[in-house]
Amino acid sequence: MNKLITLIIAFGLTTIVSAETIHTSVNGMVCAFCATGIEKTFRKQPEVESVKVDLPSKQVTIKTKPGKTLSDAKIKEVVTYSGYAMGKIVREK
Amino acid sequence: MKTQTFLNLAFITFASVLVTEGKPLSYVGGTMVMQENDETGHTLSLDYTFTPTEAFGVYIKQEENGKEIFMFTPEINTLLKRWNLPDGQGNIFNMSGAGIATYRGSNQPSLWTAFLADYESRRWFLSYEPRFVWDGNVEKSVWQRARIGFAPYLANYDALNTWIMFQVDHHPAKHDHFVATPLIRFFYKTYLFEVGYGSNQHIMVNWQIQF
Repeated sequence: MNKLITLIIAFGLTTIVSAETIHTSVNGMVCAFCATGIEKTFRKQPEVESVKVDLPSKQVTIKTKPGKTLSDAKIKEVVTYSGYAMGKIVREK
Repeated sequence: MKTQTFLNLAFITFASVLVTEGKPLSYVGGTMVMQENDETGHTLSLDYTFTPTEAFGVYIKQEENGKEIFMFTPEINTLLKRWNLPDGQGNIFNMSGAGIATYRGSNQPSLWTAFLADYESRRWFLSYEPRFVWDGNVEKSVWQRARIGFAPYLANYDALNTWIMFQVDHHPAKHDHFVATPLIRFFYKTYLFEVGYGSNQHIMVNWQIQF
């Protein structure tokens, strides 16, 4: 019984503090200026821990702060606000 | 003399931001400094992008290769249309300014507007820009500029990107109506530098920085 409670608590804590890694493709991102603009705009989001842009694959990888997430709608808003179009989103915990 | 003053100003600006064409818009909240030296003269512009489609700033130009007109105008750059494609991006921009043109000690109103249409992929670049200039009773002219570019290799944005480009200018108000300029462009993060040599034997040097 004690083991079960410990497991439940551990699972709960993991869920609460886990960060999320989100990959999204960005249409229209073709130059260094584009990539930097997107990177800087994502970095301004309070939920974001780090951002990595891969220009050749047109992919942006966003790591959120522990316990935080970014909704698809929010990611689309940021990408659109940067002047580009969002592609497919893939999430990993 | 004006040219020297302008070049000094450009150098000071360059030095003050430590380092410094491309598109007339940056990301929202970004500032862009651009300095061009070509067969038409010397240009310095400083713009702040305040919405995803609009930037506001100042445009200063010392004209050469014709009437030596000094222009100082606030400018607004507007993204009229953008196509975001999986492997490329197309844009139509308008850039417009209204201010003062000085020629032989006389100040004249100055109005100009330009449209820039471009398409860029990771490998290819195409652009066309007509520019309409009215400097009071000093000059009325229409310029055209077209470019084609090719990236010989593909690099990430935090590595050096290189473009081989070819530019053609038509400016009837200048001594040299047609100028063809092969050039090389270097991109590194938010720094752009390009150098070329025109058919009228002018060296072209442009730089741009976003911060």
